[in-house]
Amino acid sequence: MTALFRAAAPILVVTLAACGSDPAPEPTEQIVVREPGAEAPDSDTTPPAAEANDSLIAAGKAAFNTCIACHVVEKDGANRVGPNLYGIVGQAAASVEGFNYSDALASSGITWTEEELDAYIANPAAKVPGTTMMAGAITDAGRREAIIAYIENVSAN
Amino acid sequence: MADTKTSETAPKKGKWTRRAFIGAGVVAGGALVIGVAVRPGNPIDRLSPMVAKGKGEQLINAWVKVDADNIVTAIIPHVEMGQGVFTSLAQMLADELDADWSKVRILEAPADAKYVSHDIGREFLAPNLEVPAILEPTVGGTFLQLATAMNLQITGGSFSVRGTGQRAMRVAGAAAKEMLIAAAAEEWNVPAGELRAENSMILHDKSSKSAPFADFAAAAADQGLPNKPKLKSPKDYKLMGKAMARHDIPEKSNGTALFGIDADLPGMKYAAVKAAPVVGATIESMNVDTAKSMPGVLQILNMGDFVAVVADGYWQAQQALGTIDAKYSKTEGDTLNQDALFARYATVLDEAGDDDGDIETEKGDVTEAFAGAATKVEAEYKVPFLAHATMEPMNCTAWVRDGKCDVWSGHQAPLMARKAAADTLGIDTDAVTYHNAYLGGGFGRRSENDAIIMATRIAKAVPYPVKMIWSREEDTMHDHYRPSATSRFQAGLDKDGKAVSWSNIHTHLFDPQEAPTVPYYNIANHKIRKIDVPTHLRFGPWRSVDHSQHGYFIESFVDELAHAAGKDGYAYRRELLAGSKRHLAVLDKAAEMAGWGKPLPEGHGRGIAFVPSFGTIVAEVAEVDMTGAKPKVKKIYVAADPGFAVNPDGFAAQMESSIAYGLTATLYGEISVKDGAVQQSNFHDYPILRINEMPEVEVGIINGDHKRLGGAGEPGLPPLAPAVTNAIFAATGKRVRELPLSKVDFA
Repeated sequence: MTALFRAAAPILVVTLAACGSDPAPEPTEQIVVREPGAEAPDSDTTPPAAEANDSLIAAGKAAFNTCIACHVVEKDGANRVGPNLYGIVGQAAASVEGFNYSDALASSGITWTEEELDAYIANPAAKVPGTTMMAGAITDAGRREAIIAYIENVSAN
Repeated sequence: MADTKTSETAPKKGKWTRRAFIGAGVVAGGALVIGVAVRPGNPIDRLSPMVAKGKGEQLINAWVKVDADNIVTAIIPHVEMGQGVFTSLAQMLADELDADWSKVRILEAPADAKYVSHDIGREFLAPNLEVPAILEPTVGGTFLQLATAMNLQITGGSFSVRGTGQRAMRVAGAAAKEMLIAAAAEEWNVPAGELRAENSMILHDKSSKSAPFADFAAAAADQGLPNKPKLKSPKDYKLMGKAMARHDIPEKSNGTALFGIDADLPGMKYAAVKAAPVVGATIESMNVDTAKSMPGVLQILNMGDFVAVVADGYWQAQQALGTIDAKYSKTEGDTLNQDALFARYATVLDEAGDDDGDIETEKGDVTEAFAGAATKVEAEYKVPFLAHATMEPMNCTAWVRDGKCDVWSGHQAPLMARKAAADTLGIDTDAVTYHNAYLGGGFGRRSENDAIIMATRIAKAVPYPVKMIWSREEDTMHDHYRPSATSRFQAGLDKDGKAVSWSNIHTHLFDPQEAPTVPYYNIANHKIRKIDVPTHLRFGPWRSVDHSQHGYFIESFVDELAHAAGKDGYAYRRELLAGSKRHLAVLDKAAEMAGWGKPLPEGHGRGIAFVPSFGTIVAEVAEVDMTGAKPKVKKIYVAADPGFAVNPDGFAAQMESSIAYGLTATLYGEISVKDGAVQQSNFHDYPILRINEMPEVEVGIINGDHKRLGGAGEPGLPPLAPAVTNAIFAATGKRVRELPLSKVDFA
């Protein structure tokens, strides 16, 4: 691996000589098929609003797959990268025991009503600037509703 | 930050938060900040805001932080790619500081020029420079500047422990301890000499007073900087030399460890890429009719040298990419085939005759010695290109907006990655924030910037963060390969079989410069030359770099000399190493562990090989069963002298993993070229050693010189291939002169 340095020496010379050099080439051809946010034709994870509550929870369970890298919803379950979400609906923010919250969330004064949770997972960083919740940001309102319904359902049983 | 609990058994790795970077420029809580003359030119006041963000946290020096809960954080200017270096370096720092290991945390240094290792710059630029102690700070400062200029915050060369650990982490720990003691002495009004540190506490035995480090952290900053902190002698080591549990085991076992590929951002999209099959070709046209209508697809980009599809998900991007039919430009490389390449090597070596080529080392007169030799031995060896095949495929996430850029990846040289991104965009390096994560295997592959540059180019073209992931096929076909090479030897033996001349000419030399040389063998006349034979394929450092091929070449040839002299490989090497105590001790230990000379079952053979590299002396004995259709490597005995094994368990693990990696190459590893393109593409034609093929490995460590440490990540690899092929010779009489073994017919 020290080889890298041998290779680096001539590169250094080039870099210095070419200070302010041209950046790497941009695309020679750029085909924009669709802007993000514009719905894909087959968005099968979004439950129609009119569907029954059971199917909403089922959809929420599926949609929660986005969240499981960081969160569990289990009675007495362990905190992971994010806190255990068991019983989160109705709780004060930053109240899950043993989880190291950001100062921002700890001092937010939020109570996690469905509406507040919805706003938060729509865009955590916008709702609580300074939060350490980097992922999330579920743009689809239907999926957010389903996820919250799922969390409530698991917590109630 | 996720997990708050501090493990009682092993330190945890901290993470850089966005907050820490945003806070840069403001010293949080008005904390006092000091510098330690550990590294000349160390701008401590600028480092502090990046790492000491919280209330009550005190930066003791660039590598130590003590917080209000008496947690000691070791700040590590290297990357963790499975080699366990975070743990070993933290052990070195914590030992000198007399910190409580259960309260030690680990933080990877940010990708900032102030954290470069000037030692590694010096090791590279002037490895043998001797300077009087009085000039050392000046010279050190110079090398820091050079290292900074070259962006050398780098992990490689089996260098972290022997370089940064020995010269920086230990010194930093010792300095911090002396300053804490000085502060306590003032506070308690007792002589500093009556105080000692233990388990992150300062103790005054006379008065039975004790208090945690944290109580003195701020006052320590007001103390004078120790010019030469006193380092422990081995008898006082508490952590060094012990098999402390690796800090990253829990998170890598339970799946919470985050690698570059785990980067996740709000609104992030995915890119799949396919480069022109022949390096240097460009995309002339692409048919995107099908891809355009596939689900999730957002953009299709012809980047000139590669095609990228950006989609909502990686699978969608990859699927759409697979439907794109691209036409590529013609290049000079299009006609190259592997057989022709080896033929080209042969022609070049033939034409070099006895004198052409670059002389790497010359001693005495090989021509005369060879002419007068009683026995003459000649041999030619060949090895193929090798890919790295890291478990985590190449990937990089980038987000370009408002004239700045954030990059997430796992890279062996974070500063080089940052610079590469900045140059790609044509913006200042300060406008790029580079976030490093764990590396799912490095082996030199992740010291290259190609993936960083590609992801940054894609990110520049789209209005959202984008994660580029290479398929395994891209990874295999567009690596920076260990070069294929041919090496020819001539040696003369006197009437007693003693080697009197050693001549070698080989293609390419990359690094380290000493890889083809054998200064440790007592042979009066040497001449070693190289000739570069460039191809359009990209070369790169591969685990143990040039030692990987030259270890095989040299130790195969030494075995041939032993055979010509009518001696066994172990006894013959003992004669060649006569007088070199440390070398002999390692060779003898390997032979002793393996029961050299004891009978083996019919059809089994034993082979020995000896290669010092990266400061560590290694001998390996292989036992191979040749009774089946193909070689079965049963057992490998490794004897190694790294000077002092800071973490013997970690060191042994590196020997074991070098054997797994080296045996993969020995048995199967082959990248070959046809019509200018790499023929292999995935694990079906570039196989990796299976668990049932892994030999039993026994590692014996000799701590031969605690002042001169050697590396761990690479030195276990070079002796493996020749130990195996020498064992095959012992069992069958068949000499393997070309790797991999899968090409050899043993019927």
